[in-house]
Amino acid sequence: MTVLSLILIIIALITFVAGQLLLKRAMEFTGQRGFHKAKAIFLVSSGIFAMTISFFVTLGLLQHFDLSYLYPFQGLSVIIISLMAAITLKEKLTMQLTIGALLISAGVVLVSLS
Amino acid sequence: MPINFDPPLSAKALRDRPSGFANPWFQLALSVVCVLASELLLKQGASDTANRTSAWSWTGITGLASPLVWWAIFFVIISFLSWLYVLRYVPLTIAFPLSRVVDVLVPLSCWVILGETISARRWCGIGLVIIGLAIVAKPVARLEERL
Repeated sequence: MTVLSLILIIIALITFVAGQLLLKRAMEFTGQRGFHKAKAIFLVSSGIFAMTISFFVTLGLLQHFDLSYLYPFQGLSVIIISLMAAITLKEKLTMQLTIGALLISAGVVLVSLS
Repeated sequence: MPINFDPPLSAKALRDRPSGFANPWFQLALSVVCVLASELLLKQGASDTANRTSAWSWTGITGLASPLVWWAIFFVIISFLSWLYVLRYVPLTIAFPLSRVVDVLVPLSCWVILGETISARRWCGIGLVIIGLAIVAKPVARLEERL
């Protein structure tokens, strides 16, 4: 693995997490005030923009590495998204949800390592 | 981090959820199936078009030459729309971990459909994910029962 591929893997992960948080925020916002507000459009389009970057960077990585090599990094997204949703979106993160997310992350890493 | 044992979903949000096709849990399942299809198509399409000598290959743009990648994009769009709908009703801390059921379905579909073998370590991983999913889904199922 080169430094470039590691940087690309991290970019794919960060843009994916950011995209999910932006879209969740957007859907909360539109649920309250509808789609026509400028802020809603900005949130949805920046969420889609972040997801698009993640999509193409992942596609590029898939041309060079096996899915089984790239997947453990995607597995980490579960626990990162749960923590970030609690911090930035003020969602309730119960002990039960944290343990569940940790087990899923660990399981995904284990599935893709073998 | 403060330990919080309150149910993470308000009973009201769940009571107000639509039923049938518009049910957020049905949409979550639809989203997962489309992600499963797109992952398999994407890997095949990317492999078909892999060209390590091209300067553009790191960006993934060259993958668009494969029709399978376009099918994958189609499924990504469907899963994306149903995912947006899910986010309207379900908190991310519940919806996202549950959506990772796809990480169990991918190796299992390879095992059942393609006849690939699953190593002992991989079975352990699948077991961990299933236990994690059950832990996340339990408070939701309990709330649903109460309604």
